[in-house]
Amino acid sequence: MVKKTSKPLWDFLSSVRLTVVLLILVAITSIFGTIIPQEQVTATRFARDLSPGLLNLFNSLQLFDMYHSVWFRSIICLLALNLIVCSLDRFPATLKLFRLTPKPDRSKPFEGMPPHRVLTIEGGLKETTDNVGDFLKERYNTMVIKKTDKETYFHCEKGRFTIFGVYLVHLSVLIILMGGIIGSLLGFNGYVNILEGESTDTVFLREGMSYNDKDLGFGIHCENFSIDFYDNGMPKEYRSDLKFIMEGKTVKEAILLVNHPIKFKGITFYQASYGSLAGDKALLKISNAEIDMHDFTLEVELGKPVPLPGNGARLILADISDDFMNMGPAVKISIMPEGREEISFWLFKYQYNIKKQYPGIFDNFPKLNPSSYKPYTFYVDDIETVYYSGLQVNKNPGIPLVYTGFFTIIVGLFVTFLTSHRRIWVHITGKPGNISVKVAGKASKNQVGMEKELDRLVTSLDSCLNPGREI
Amino acid sequence: MLHSVILSYITFFYFLSFLFYLLMMVMEKKAFGQIATIITLTGLAGHTFALIVRWVESYRLDIGHAPLSNLYESLIFFSWTIILLYLLMERRIKNRTVGTFVTPLAFLALAYASFSDNVSSEIRPLIPALQSNWLTAHVITCFFGYAAFALSFGISLMYLLKKSHMANIKTGFFNLLPGAGTLDELNYNMVIIGFLMLTLGIITGSVWANAAWGSYWSWDPKETWSLITWLVYATMLHARMVRGWKGKRLASLSIIGFACVLFTYFGVNFLAGLHSYAV
Repeated sequence: MVKKTSKPLWDFLSSVRLTVVLLILVAITSIFGTIIPQEQVTATRFARDLSPGLLNLFNSLQLFDMYHSVWFRSIICLLALNLIVCSLDRFPATLKLFRLTPKPDRSKPFEGMPPHRVLTIEGGLKETTDNVGDFLKERYNTMVIKKTDKETYFHCEKGRFTIFGVYLVHLSVLIILMGGIIGSLLGFNGYVNILEGESTDTVFLREGMSYNDKDLGFGIHCENFSIDFYDNGMPKEYRSDLKFIMEGKTVKEAILLVNHPIKFKGITFYQASYGSLAGDKALLKISNAEIDMHDFTLEVELGKPVPLPGNGARLILADISDDFMNMGPAVKISIMPEGREEISFWLFKYQYNIKKQYPGIFDNFPKLNPSSYKPYTFYVDDIETVYYSGLQVNKNPGIPLVYTGFFTIIVGLFVTFLTSHRRIWVHITGKPGNISVKVAGKASKNQVGMEKELDRLVTSLDSCLNPGREI
Repeated sequence: MLHSVILSYITFFYFLSFLFYLLMMVMEKKAFGQIATIITLTGLAGHTFALIVRWVESYRLDIGHAPLSNLYESLIFFSWTIILLYLLMERRIKNRTVGTFVTPLAFLALAYASFSDNVSSEIRPLIPALQSNWLTAHVITCFFGYAAFALSFGISLMYLLKKSHMANIKTGFFNLLPGAGTLDELNYNMVIIGFLMLTLGIITGSVWANAAWGSYWSWDPKETWSLITWLVYATMLHARMVRGWKGKRLASLSIIGFACVLFTYFGVNFLAGLHSYAV
């Protein structure tokens, strides 16, 4: 019905010319996205160097997120539509062809056949016909016979289904696209960083240029994060020990590794990244220039004063920085001597290197001088670091569909390209004692393979019909 | 290391077999072709041995994995698949002229692996993202696909040469070439094998990416270029099967397709992305 009322549009949408044009169009436009940066950070850097006019053009064509742009999606949609219409247009004819009852008594297949495909049998006509029938029945599932008093035609075939292969391939492409649409409509891609020993129940979703919170409805606790290294220093394993918590109770404990995601309540967790932050403890090494005593170490915690040994003063860890003044990790300590004013200064972790690189820096800046409180000199022995584990948190209900499409496209391609529809005609005629059996065949593809099959068939048919004869 | 020494010798083997295939065509003496086949077969045997040695060596270093994890390993595997696929085809079609056009590709891949300063032959352990069984399936299918496309590229060159040569038929060089129809059919068959393998390669990569990063498709440059390659060959198959394209147009499409393969393999490394470890 559709076909008659809107024929020009139907013809346009069902043409393979359109398919070829669209395939090439997708291929060419896809190249842009591999040259123009598509990620926020790199895209912003790239955009800075463009002239305002060009930038406008790029923005209006959504070239910085082109695979999700309206025009690119439109091309894909048109391709999908083309595929659907094409299949609908051709399927009835294919089905008719599939259901067609073959005509065994055709003379065309036997035209120009090589002489060795003709066997001469000395037996009777009926006996030979029965033998050939049994022989063929053993090898082929479908057989059609046309019999008269003088002659018999057999038609056998296999692989008729091969014409459906191409429909399966195209259906698979649609299934995969459908899976993609379902995934993007009903699923989400989020991420969250969890510090060791901490928990969260929300993740962040990237939606275009903005970020949104998403409540998972359960808690994730990161018990521990660890990295294992090979001898040469390359990373061997990133591992998070996770607990999933519902209503205050741990309902699942699991180890999360790269390539081994964890599924919980339909949401999948991936080990995506990690990082470290300074904790709230530091280990100080302290020397005293006046009293000849050994250096001693002191563990301090942020905001908790401790007495400074050998002196009435109290020391407090005031601040910790991962990277102070671009010179690496540092801590700020305050010393409160009895009855005197408080002294605060920063201590760099890599004090020795900094002193070497910037001679005199500590003498010029008392706020950075580790010997600001004489006679003591302070060193940072260690700053506690806390790791956080970066998790990718996804829900993608389209996955089963996509994987189904992956499976069926492979099956479809194999059926389309590696199986062929092979048809065999056998014609038996002649008088008792001089029966001629002709064998001919045709394949939808790989005619060379068909010829080999025919040769084998003729040889075994010969030894079946002439059992006594040596070959 | 032993295997890399063997492989640098194999490089010369493949160059030598190219020379003999060429000599066969120029002199129109089939005996040279037989020698070329023997050299290529010997090369393949040594090549296979070297791959196994490298594999075993990685286990000895306690970082055991199939030699399919970085640029060096992919190059030596690519070269191996080209030669293997070529010899299988040679056996089937009983014509050795394709060798002249295909062995140089295997030679170049191996020479690049063995003699370029950019390619380290050191056996390195697998980073966590690569520790997956999908790695083996992904790399094997992709490179058999690439190898089939390489063969199709060589055959397309032969086809175009044969056609351009029709005008001045006297030169001896082209006499041993198969007929244009045979070349066209052979080309089509190679594209089918390549297309099947590339499809498998993209799918295995996709499933793997979903396990590793939670996204089966992220439009990373290498992914996108593999899709572009897939689309070019898909176009070619449609043009052939439905619109009946043959001959020069198909050969030209195959050459464009192989250019896309090369860009997917090498060019993308300049664009950076998820596959950066393959540099």
